[in-house]
Amino acid sequence: MAIKGGGFSRKSGAGSEIPTSSLADIAFLLLIFFMVTTVFRKEKKRTIEWVEARATEKIDEKRKNILHIWIERDGVVYINDVRTPFEDISEIVRPIYADNRELVVAIRGDRDVPYSQINTITEELQEAGAVRVTFATRIEQRAGRARR
Amino acid sequence: MAIMKRKQKVSDEIPTASLADIAFLLLIFFLTTTVFNEEKGLPIVLPEQSEEQEVSPKNLIFFIIQPDGRVIVRRGESEQEQTVSYNQVEGILRAELAQNPNLIAAIQTDPRAAYRHMVNVLDEVKSAGAERISLQELEN
Repeated sequence: MAIKGGGFSRKSGAGSEIPTSSLADIAFLLLIFFMVTTVFRKEKKRTIEWVEARATEKIDEKRKNILHIWIERDGVVYINDVRTPFEDISEIVRPIYADNRELVVAIRGDRDVPYSQINTITEELQEAGAVRVTFATRIEQRAGRARR
Repeated sequence: MAIMKRKQKVSDEIPTASLADIAFLLLIFFLTTTVFNEEKGLPIVLPEQSEEQEVSPKNLIFFIIQPDGRVIVRRGESEQEQTVSYNQVEGILRAELAQNPNLIAAIQTDPRAAYRHMVNVLDEVKSAGAERISLQELEN
């Protein structure tokens, strides 16, 4: 029995175009996925003048493991947007550290804050047991060295 | 009759061919404009509260930070003091570490000194490659 068209008709029946009708769906799905999974930081930005350091390292830690302690120029301390007196820091940090043993405390102090206040904070953190600390800094550019 | 024919030429479908382009454009826009603020800083592990170590004075080098930002360098054993500016600290410590890798850099900061002076010295100490660092407040 002769095959119609010598068997070529089946091949030419396949579409030569890439099916692009579902591409929009894929792209929107990706878009929506990223929109839904993006977590915005709730913490308010504080105005501090950052300290700079050449040895600045990237802290390879998940965001949920990092607690920020802000010290503004006038010596006001904020933890999670709450104004905190120095003597209460350990009481506030202790339960956070108890929940999350991998906690890293990032001290974000203004460059002109007297060291006594920083020392008080580190002592409070020691009291709370949270001993992994970073002094948050900005990377110092070589050209900026003369400024300090 | 001619009017009827023209109306029928208009497609009744929404043109979806460019929808993918629009969606990808949005996707790429958001991908490129997203800024991850990563945490940067100088990490240090504080000693536990009860933790106290006996350290031989010959393994110590003190960097005493004055309120004006000058640094007094004192080797643990000797009473000799040397006043330097902070950007000399790295060189001094590097030379000392080459002789004694177990050296502990003790940064003692005057309580009145600005935080940036302490970070400057800590930066130098870290740059010099010191592993053992101690932070203290200078007692008057």
